[in-house]
Amino acid sequence: MSTPTDIHIYTGQTPNGIKVTILLEELGLQYKEPWFLEINPNGRIPAMTDTLNGKQIRVFESGAMMQYIVDQYDKDHKVSYPFGTPEYYETNSWLMWQMGGLGPMQGQLNHFKRYAPEKIQYGINRYEGEVKRLYRTLDETLQKSSSGYLVGDRCTVADISCWGWVAMARSSGVDPQNYPALQAWVERMLKRPGVEKGRHVPTEHSYEKFQTMTEEEFEARAAANRTWILEGQKAESER
Amino acid sequence: MATQTNITLYTEGTPNGLKATIALEELGLSYKVRAMKLFEHEHKEPWYLEINPNGRIPALTDKEGEEEDEEVRIFESGALLLYLVSRYDKEHKISYPEGTKEHWETVSWLMWQMGGLGPMQGQANHFFTAAPQRYEYSLHRYTNESRRLYRVLDTQLSKNPHGYIVGDRVTVADIAVWPWAQAWKSCGLKTMDEFPNVQKWMAKLLARPGFERGRNIPGPHFHIKLNELAEEEVDKLMRPRTGWVLEGMKKDAE
Repeated sequence: MSTPTDIHIYTGQTPNGIKVTILLEELGLQYKEPWFLEINPNGRIPAMTDTLNGKQIRVFESGAMMQYIVDQYDKDHKVSYPFGTPEYYETNSWLMWQMGGLGPMQGQLNHFKRYAPEKIQYGINRYEGEVKRLYRTLDETLQKSSSGYLVGDRCTVADISCWGWVAMARSSGVDPQNYPALQAWVERMLKRPGVEKGRHVPTEHSYEKFQTMTEEEFEARAAANRTWILEGQKAESER
Repeated sequence: MATQTNITLYTEGTPNGLKATIALEELGLSYKVRAMKLFEHEHKEPWYLEINPNGRIPALTDKEGEEEDEEVRIFESGALLLYLVSRYDKEHKISYPEGTKEHWETVSWLMWQMGGLGPMQGQANHFFTAAPQRYEYSLHRYTNESRRLYRVLDTQLSKNPHGYIVGDRVTVADIAVWPWAQAWKSCGLKTMDEFPNVQKWMAKLLARPGFERGRNIPGPHFHIKLNELAEEEVDKLMRPRTGWVLEGMKKDAE
């Protein structure tokens, strides 16, 4: 039984976009999804609006949206812990770790490996090394976890935030099979109905395709996106 | 009169470290400081990885619970900031009440700094002062993205007559951005003149006693000194300090 809300989501099929839609599906919330509009001063997706205490509110940055949605809508703590508990703070630490580390660094790896107009080996090596270090950190944490999730006994916004990025590891040129606990976690998350529903919003998620694609196929896929990415970078640099 | 706490802060005078010390000083808290020897990779030692599995600064430990005997650890500067205000800022000197529109606007901007300004300006810093040779494409990618982010910030500040990022007070959003803004020159930005509202805001916060104390813990504020120097002098000062970064990258890759 899904719960109606006033949430409008502005999003796209990226690791940050699917964080939010997975969480909404995990909590069984209804949300409206108009085509992408710019209500985020930073001009990025995802972003959202909602009605809070009778006033319209905007929330941008996927990490802020994750916190907002559980704070407002997860009173039963299905994917969160009560405010002020050690587990609540630990979840926040990992959420910030994803926002400041995993996301940006794997994003840079994607850029240097797939989108940069020329192959800059130094950049590829730097970000690949960092992503592997971050995956090792996750793997070591998950090895010690009896639940197989990052914090305590349940899936939280920390897991959901990291998942979309790790799920695209092969597209970034990293083999997640090198990190057994991490790979098991990827598959554990994939079995959750909320993850399954949310990852395909607004368009199909490519996890299955990524498992069998070759380097050449990844390069060809990147070529299709390279133009708009570099155009955007150029337009901003001329300001 | 400083409020006693059981906080130990593991830190150094980097932009992320200063976020924590500024917040602690703004809140008038008493805490222990453990300056970490980054150049000797102390932050990768096993004892420290128990506190921060990611092996970075800042991180803090504190005690919780009725008897104040449950250890809590927090890592990631953004998480430290939210922890400090949610636990120690009941009067909302530098925050808004949980669940308000202003609270969520603050969190949005904090996340914008954590996911955008910090990492992007940090990469600019790497390609400007630490990379073994000059990679023009990479340096420009990150300095241009940093400039775009400062334009976004400048627009936001221009809309607020109070001169803060959110509403009528300093918040953790301002505290998270400010030390990075003060490190502009060491990250390869040529000027901040294109962002007049950001410049006004930088000066406004510099005048606050909490910022003055916090930016000089554990040692004198380093990056701000570079802003008055010529680019070549900045490069000369920064190069000897960044060898440990390349060492760290090499060790991580092994």
